[in-house]
Amino acid sequence: MAILNVNPTRMAMLGLKRKIKSAKRGHKLLKDKQDGLMQKFMEIIREAKRIREEVEERLGAAFKNFIRAGSIMEEEFLEGALLFSTAKTELSVKTKNVMSVRIPQFKLKQSGEAINYGYLQTSGELDIALQSFQDVFPLLIELAEIEKSAEALADELEKTRRRVNALEYRMIPDLQDTIKFISMKLGEMERGAVINTMIVKAKIEAQMA
Amino acid sequence: MNYKISIVGTRETIIGFKALGLEPVYVSEPSEAVESLYSLKRERVEFEGGSRNKYAIVFIMEDLMSEITDDDYKKLTADPLPAIIPLPSHLGSSGYGLKKLKTIVEKAVGMDILS
Repeated sequence: MAILNVNPTRMAMLGLKRKIKSAKRGHKLLKDKQDGLMQKFMEIIREAKRIREEVEERLGAAFKNFIRAGSIMEEEFLEGALLFSTAKTELSVKTKNVMSVRIPQFKLKQSGEAINYGYLQTSGELDIALQSFQDVFPLLIELAEIEKSAEALADELEKTRRRVNALEYRMIPDLQDTIKFISMKLGEMERGAVINTMIVKAKIEAQMA
Repeated sequence: MNYKISIVGTRETIIGFKALGLEPVYVSEPSEAVESLYSLKRERVEFEGGSRNKYAIVFIMEDLMSEITDDDYKKLTADPLPAIIPLPSHLGSSGYGLKKLKTIVEKAVGMDILS
């Protein structure tokens, strides 16, 4: 516990009292923010884990299909086939504000067909592979949204926790100690003054007598 | 406002995503991947009254993320957009994604509560 470097005066004490009041209010607000963030984070993180696991499973399968397709077909044909895809993906992004953290919300709009090539020179595996990519794709977007949100929330949570702790364990106790120190010092000075006057009075009375 | 999605990976893995309308960026080395992430992040689109990121999501193959330093990672993910999301490649999951989630949880809660 440290005592702040201030003059032990009534003025300084008043200032410190004001400070401690706002520090306490700030602490309460931040604590509430931390709780809110934590609640949101908990909601998100389990979902994130679930989606991540699902993506790993499904995407792995999709890649396997694709690699298999690639191994059967000649590379030029494969590339040529993919060139004619009319698929367009449009992503609109909105940001949502959760406890002053901006988290993105993606909305996917897909149009056109990925499979848009002649069937003669391409293998059936390619169709399957592209279809599985297309199936898993919305999930990827969901994953992106939720992981980014979790990341942003975690960042903010860490910052908020630091602030809460700094206020709770450092600033507020220091202020309290300093106030106590000043009030003791003031009391001491008061007593000193009383004693002084008593001594002076006794001296004057002794002279008179 | 429409954003684009990009995917970073080796040629043979991500060429299929091109058919879905993603913009592929072909790299073969992890060090190249970091550079391309930075340049993708820098790309902006001008519109009336300002500019914004061109890409909202950048997917990247997990095996390319192995060499990225914490410092680079922090810089890359500091802004709300783009979201940089590692995906398992055809080699199978390396556990990078789940490990990342774990660090996120540890950062937020102070301990790992997922497992």
